[in-house]
Amino acid sequence: MLKEVISQILTAPATRKYPAVRPKVPEGFRGKQIFDINLCISCGLCASDCPAKAIEMVNVEGKKRPLFHLDRCVFCYQCAEGCPRNAIKETGFFELASTNKCDLVIRPETDHKNRGEK
Amino acid sequence: MSLDFTFFFRVLIFPGFSFILLLTFLCDWIERKIEARMQNRIGPTYTGPAGILQPFADFVKLLAKEDMVPRDARSIVFKFAPILSFSTFVLAMFFLPIDGSNVILNSSFQGDLIFVLALVSLANFFLFLSGWSSRNPYSEIGATRVLTQFLGYDIPLSILAFGPAVLASGLSISTIAANQRFPFALLVPWSFALFIITLQAELEKDPFDIPHAETEIVGGYETEYSGRRLALLKLAKDVQIVLGAALVVELFLAGPYGPVFLGPPSLWYTLWFILKVFLVVVITEYLTCIFARLRIDQVLDVNWRVLVPLSILSLIATVGVAFWLNLWV
Amino acid sequence: MINEDETAGISAITAVDLGETIEIMYHIRTRGTIVTIRTQVPKEAPRIRTITDMLPGANFHEKEVADLFGVIFEGHPNPGRLILSEDWPRDNFPLRKNAEITKVESKTEKLPAVDEDKQSSDEGTLTTVILGPQHPALIEPEKFSLKVDGEIVTEVTPRIGYVHRGIEKAAENRTYLKDIYLVERICGICNTCHATCFCQAVEAIMGTEVPPRARYLRTIVLELNRIQSHMLLLGHAGLEIGYESLFQYMWRDREIAMNTMESLTGNRVIASFVTIGGVRRDLKEESIPGIKAELATLKERMTFYRNLLENDSTLKMRTKDVGILNRRDALKLCVVGPVARGSNVKIDVRKDAPYAAYEEIPFKMISRSEGDSWARLMVRLDETSESIDILDLALDNLPSGPYRVKVPRIVPPGEALSRVEAPRGELFYYVKSNGTAYPERVKVRTPTFANILSFVQIAKGGNIADVPASFVSLDPCFSCTDR
Repeated sequence: MLKEVISQILTAPATRKYPAVRPKVPEGFRGKQIFDINLCISCGLCASDCPAKAIEMVNVEGKKRPLFHLDRCVFCYQCAEGCPRNAIKETGFFELASTNKCDLVIRPETDHKNRGEK
Repeated sequence: MSLDFTFFFRVLIFPGFSFILLLTFLCDWIERKIEARMQNRIGPTYTGPAGILQPFADFVKLLAKEDMVPRDARSIVFKFAPILSFSTFVLAMFFLPIDGSNVILNSSFQGDLIFVLALVSLANFFLFLSGWSSRNPYSEIGATRVLTQFLGYDIPLSILAFGPAVLASGLSISTIAANQRFPFALLVPWSFALFIITLQAELEKDPFDIPHAETEIVGGYETEYSGRRLALLKLAKDVQIVLGAALVVELFLAGPYGPVFLGPPSLWYTLWFILKVFLVVVITEYLTCIFARLRIDQVLDVNWRVLVPLSILSLIATVGVAFWLNLWV
Repeated sequence: MINEDETAGISAITAVDLGETIEIMYHIRTRGTIVTIRTQVPKEAPRIRTITDMLPGANFHEKEVADLFGVIFEGHPNPGRLILSEDWPRDNFPLRKNAEITKVESKTEKLPAVDEDKQSSDEGTLTTVILGPQHPALIEPEKFSLKVDGEIVTEVTPRIGYVHRGIEKAAENRTYLKDIYLVERICGICNTCHATCFCQAVEAIMGTEVPPRARYLRTIVLELNRIQSHMLLLGHAGLEIGYESLFQYMWRDREIAMNTMESLTGNRVIASFVTIGGVRRDLKEESIPGIKAELATLKERMTFYRNLLENDSTLKMRTKDVGILNRRDALKLCVVGPVARGSNVKIDVRKDAPYAAYEEIPFKMISRSEGDSWARLMVRLDETSESIDILDLALDNLPSGPYRVKVPRIVPPGEALSRVEAPRGELFYYVKSNGTAYPERVKVRTPTFANILSFVQIAKGGNIADVPASFVSLDPCFSCTDR
């Protein structure tokens, strides 16, 4: 241990200087969801399967579409797994902290235009 | 000594109160950075360049917090113990030559080594009082552990401190620091090593960390303090570290004296003093990182079974070296 | 049974509300399997004789059934509240089918002071020191009242239930698919074990056979979980005994396991990887060499830590001969996991009743005979090295094929129990299905719940300064205990 401690002074620190240095997000990381309204068939499986009751089916232009409450979501992606048309996809975006609850909602009508948050 | 401008300048600004405070903050920063690097981390980074303002920022933050006195505490002792402890440590610093002479000029006297050691004991007693007056089980356990550990390290510390006194034939710290043609750390390395280990116990660092072991007794004697008084108590502990390192520097590493290049000698003496204090702080921090914390009975065990006999032996050896040197000189 | 096999111990006591009666099942672990003894008591007068005189380890199991179902165990040495709080109404038993729990309001007035609530009171020469519920030594809240004589601890009274979230009741109101995610969140550090155990029980009821690739993938994630958990504990043990450098180094090396988990399952801690019928994702063949390289680095670091634990003097002074649990007490209290294996009780579900791919992968069961804190820490360290070897073997021999089979959403009626070796010991699940989409009863018995009584045994007779250090070597996980 004595030598180990001395040798650590000469090694680069293991700390990453976030947020100046961006972390490497691996592929398949369960971050924020992306919802594609064009693929949705309004089956409602996502809402009934969500363990945290974070998906609410709302009325958009006469059809029922899912509204995601990200403050309740546990990011288990059961919704993506159950969706028969693969309308819900995952991204690596995890910096979701916000002071405003309205930011933590994925609305079906507007969000499919706001893609590109990777 | 007359109460003129030089006196007040030396006491309040340099090398007195303000200088000691700045040195304390600097030593605290060095300690935290070195500990972080040894543990493969970064340490303070954001406040000021390389985080050098972090100890100052912590101090200021604590000053701004609410200062609560528990209802059950013995209030006079509770309120004054931190400031008394802090001032005693700073007073002890006044008797160590920093820029070639003491803070108050011509105030060194024969026997001020014993006086400084007594002041250190008194300041530790004030730390005990701060925990005892809080009336909190965790503080009481921490306070009694301060005293119990004190019983262990005080005797070896005093015995080892007499070694350099014998070698320099004088009991005044300024004499000891000035009479070192070779630093005593090279002449009596066993004494130097033992003194540093005993100093770990006095400074309450691993392996003798027990009085304020955070994971066991929350904060030890600091538990009930908050706000300004906690800031002073923490500052007292930091000054204790600087005092301990400065004592080692004066007794074993030839004090502030070293090669002088161009300019006034006192500037160079201060520089050497600061560098040597940093060196001792790094050594104590290294010892902290490689040991775990011992239980209080194990601390007493190590102190009385290992340190006391070794320090007596080392004193005998030092006296032998002194005789051998005098035969040649 | 106890006379024939000295390692027989109580694994769990399950109670199920059957309408008119309450069925009580005693699951006894003996010779590598579980023997269940069923009995029924009428709901109006639920009284049954206690078994704590034969098996002292059943103490807390019976108290829990008493709290949640209202069964009175005659002759129990210390009846009283275990999981529910003191101000819960005395006649409201939450896990009964007709219990009205939404109408209970928490009282805001001061609770009557119980004996143990006095801080540092003096009774003669004995002082009571309270450890917790908030204490730097405990990661999660529980209260331990220690009666201290000078520096020696004479008696310990634990009070658990501070993090009780009613997961067993909540599981009855959710579908099986949602329940996987619910039980995964009982505990963060052993989340995959909970999910696997639950899925195994449901698959046993349905009679589904999980494909071989899925079994191997489950093993891989389970062993990664074990590595993460043991390294967390070893670092935490270093912190408790004041060895900060060990803590920082261990957690830095733990990042290798966390990053592997992240690339495998999409998240560092809660894997959400196991589902009924297999696993949710596949492992790509091209990522295997990268994982094996990282594991090789980790194995080297483990050698360094083993050297440290064996040779460092201050560390040994704090952990050797501290918190001793001898074999006789370990058997009487029916402890599980590294706590038992550190006291020479050789039980391990992976060997006794193999699940996932453990039948096909050879590995050593680690055990030590000293029974002190040092032995328990060494057991965990060696188990980490062993886990890295199991991972290597599993990655090398990963069979091809499907990683998941489709299962119906409605589970046929039936009941099953399943056991998994979580990092802290044997995790036990009992699932009963009544043919609808919701389970009838999900019973969880977590390893720390079985080990709580050993806290009492270990602290007695020792120094009060040793209490945090010995508690941490028992690896407490109070979220698991309270559910």
